[in-house]
Amino acid sequence: MTGSGARHAERFVEARLGREPQDMLEAAVVLEAWAGVPAGEALRSGRAIMASSAPEARASAGRLPGTENARGTAVEALSFVIAVVAIAAWAAPLSSRVGREVLEEALIVALPTTLALQWGLASRYLSRPEGLARLGRRPLLLLFAAAALVVIPALAVGRAGALAGLLTLTWTGGTIVIRRRWSLLYAGMVVLATVAMVAGLPGTNVLGFTAAVTTVAVAAAVRARVVPTGHAPGRWGRAVVAAAIGAGLGLVLVTDRSVDWSVGSIPAIGLLPSSIASFWAGSRLWRFQRVIPQTLSGVAVVDGDVRGLGAAPLRVLLDAVARLAALTVVLSLVLIAVAEALGVETSGITVLAGFGLVALATLLVGLLEAIGRGTWALLALGGGVAAEVAALSLTPLSSVTGGGLMVGASIAVVVALPMVVSGLSRPAATLATALGIR
Amino acid sequence: MGPVRHDLLAARRPHVTGRGPAARRGRTRVLLTTEGTYPYALGGVTSWCDVLIRGLPDFDWQVLAVIAPHGRPPMMELPPHAREIRPIELWSEEVPHGLPLPRHERRVGTELPGRLVRGLIAWDADTADLIDALTWCRRFPAGVRRSFRSRASWAAFMAALREVLGESVQDAGTPPRVDLVEAALLYQSMYWVARAAAAPTPATDVLHVTAAGWAAIPALVHKALHGTPMVLTEHGVYVREAYLAAARSAASPGSRFIATRLARGLARATYAQADVVAPVTDSNAVWEEGLGRDVDTIHVIRNGLAPPAHPVPPPRTGTVVAVGRIDPLKDIHTMLLAAAETVRHVPDATFLHYGPVAEEQEAYARSCRVLHAQLGLGERFRFMGQTDAPDAVLRAADVVLLSSISEGMPMSVLEAMAQGRPVVCTGVGGVPDVVKGCGVIAPPGDTHGLAMGVVTLLHRPDLAWSLGRRGHRRCARIFDQAACVSGYAELLRAAAVGVGPVAGVPDTARMAA
Repeated sequence: MTGSGARHAERFVEARLGREPQDMLEAAVVLEAWAGVPAGEALRSGRAIMASSAPEARASAGRLPGTENARGTAVEALSFVIAVVAIAAWAAPLSSRVGREVLEEALIVALPTTLALQWGLASRYLSRPEGLARLGRRPLLLLFAAAALVVIPALAVGRAGALAGLLTLTWTGGTIVIRRRWSLLYAGMVVLATVAMVAGLPGTNVLGFTAAVTTVAVAAAVRARVVPTGHAPGRWGRAVVAAAIGAGLGLVLVTDRSVDWSVGSIPAIGLLPSSIASFWAGSRLWRFQRVIPQTLSGVAVVDGDVRGLGAAPLRVLLDAVARLAALTVVLSLVLIAVAEALGVETSGITVLAGFGLVALATLLVGLLEAIGRGTWALLALGGGVAAEVAALSLTPLSSVTGGGLMVGASIAVVVALPMVVSGLSRPAATLATALGIR
Repeated sequence: MGPVRHDLLAARRPHVTGRGPAARRGRTRVLLTTEGTYPYALGGVTSWCDVLIRGLPDFDWQVLAVIAPHGRPPMMELPPHAREIRPIELWSEEVPHGLPLPRHERRVGTELPGRLVRGLIAWDADTADLIDALTWCRRFPAGVRRSFRSRASWAAFMAALREVLGESVQDAGTPPRVDLVEAALLYQSMYWVARAAAAPTPATDVLHVTAAGWAAIPALVHKALHGTPMVLTEHGVYVREAYLAAARSAASPGSRFIATRLARGLARATYAQADVVAPVTDSNAVWEEGLGRDVDTIHVIRNGLAPPAHPVPPPRTGTVVAVGRIDPLKDIHTMLLAAAETVRHVPDATFLHYGPVAEEQEAYARSCRVLHAQLGLGERFRFMGQTDAPDAVLRAADVVLLSSISEGMPMSVLEAMAQGRPVVCTGVGGVPDVVKGCGVIAPPGDTHGLAMGVVTLLHRPDLAWSLGRRGHRRCARIFDQAACVSGYAELLRAAAVGVGPVAGVPDTARMAA
């Protein structure tokens, strides 16, 4: 190719691309596709173009593919609050019907089981675009599972087991119904059940009816028709780890028997401040989807290890933790003040603090699970439960209401926090190794 | 180009001596690997696969598709002598199973991402080390995920990537300043390369790869492990199409660099390892040679059609038909502009476009509709969607139009010629070789040239009919499906027993000297 021919080809390629070609192949492709130059000649011209130019390295700023945004958090939070308050009101009628011991035993079974199912379902189905439809692909299996939830504990533990099964079915089913964005329907359902119980109808019958209605609502919710988009359900292995995390959180809650869930609505109402704060703090964590790529975008690989990249993600974490702590404290104080004004007994400051710490542990282990480090989360919770058991059996903490809860949750936080900080302080490595490779 | 050596296949097979198991059983087993085509999507490559498999019932076919997870069942039914093995779903959440990674292999696992990035992204990559790394993935499938999730692997990968970005090769230009987001995405791509390599492949006598890209990865490993001969058929040139996509995209310089270098790395490795490259057109062979393939091992086997029926005269209704996907490679914008110019000269002309929107090209399809509206084409140009009867729609045409900027050997042009219809088309890829003397060829993107070709043929129906009949004769004479299929039969049999493929390949199917 002559010098003028190469210059002409170069000008054509640059005009077509609006920039210099990346390499000789790009130049050749442009010449062949848009100038009709035969392939062999295009390749030769491409080489000649690169020989005559020495472009500067172009700056680049990558973007991640679109990510899902937080949806309907406010409605879900409101529904959750209504449901917690309503369910809290069930304790007294149920206790008077079946006895405190039976109810306590039922709750010890139901809480960890429900949390395990909720976390497991969220991991495999509910956090997926086609999750509900996929969950509904085997309706008979779903029905069988619902029946098994009641029958198996009933056979194993008797009356308390049956009660645990009905509570588990209602709460777990509620999660599915809320995912279908029928949160107000679910909230309405439990409020009606509460009204029925308070009005004097037999608590167990009302609970049984509520569980049945929830099952019907679940059956309707999973009949969502969606066009397949290739989003498979989550991996079983990951769902099992998530379920174990949920069970671990449940165990932290029920291991401390000084927090008596059967005495009435007090402990359940005590959950409200930390739960509302959790929703608020959790919603802030969605910002990671934006902050991590923003932090890394435009930072050139050839510039070597750039310090301080973890600052922005850590600020998001700090922001979430601060919101969780502040709102928990404020709402707990409000709860205490209102209770005092009404002359009603409260769970006590230690239990409220314990719930706050559990909420913080939940936030951290949830974050670890989300960044693909579920086994680290399990380690933290395992440590928490072990510490709680040890503290209750080896120290005088069992005499402090909620003392074990505080120890267990604190240890989970202490173990989980460095792992979370470590992951967030190296956002590029976390994005590549943990978020991208599940 | 010189004559092909008869002992070529035997010389390129280090571990295989004498006749293989297939020869003993009397039936040759072929593992056909595809990427995003057969049997999950419709199109030219899928039709070719279907014709080939159905036309060769004496072979036992196994089809291994590399796909993105979409949850849809196969669109093509396989004949009884073919079976589909579990597809490789890229970017899925599935985890490879296998024995835990032995302790002494952990260090190798840590180096894996770095070796892959050197082997695939570097301009002058070491293909042997790449193949070795890919083979390690097959030996330790469960180790792939463990290795890639380690921070030490990320550190090793970053060191290797910095080396690659620091290369100074004149042909390669200056690599862009790839950022950390792009590096993380590249790391994940390397993981999926490793996962594709880790996927098991069944025992086979010949590997037939249909694209020099992701579809080649399992075949490359299989060949390295068992010495099984490998045949590559390229319909479009994988690298060229990757570069075209990148040139048109609004992606960042780093993303374009990664996409094109990865395609080039996969193609180079495939060209280096394939025993025979059998493109469908001479123009592909030029690219393959340009990318380092020894020209003596390139054997063009042109696509063919079943013997066409006697052509009927065109309807003389001023109908111009185009058949093909709505895809930037088909340059529908140029087609619309050419239609608008044609209508100014021939107000009664009607353009009918048949074909679906290509996967992930909905935005491009929208841009076509916007341009259609801007040009005020209305009913003069209609998007008819996919057709089940391409022959009938081509018979209803006076002229067939193709405006692609990249083609291998387009079946729609062959089908038009088989129906005795003249073609107005862009001279890209194998199109000029096919159309030679039977239509009008314009440079790609030449709106005016395409429009004038259409106008001329609409104004002169006798000339159009004469070109159509000439195309019909040429199609029957040169682009014969039976010859195409028997060419592959000879090639695959020869490959299976390690004998040179030339004896059975028709002269018309060899690359011109």
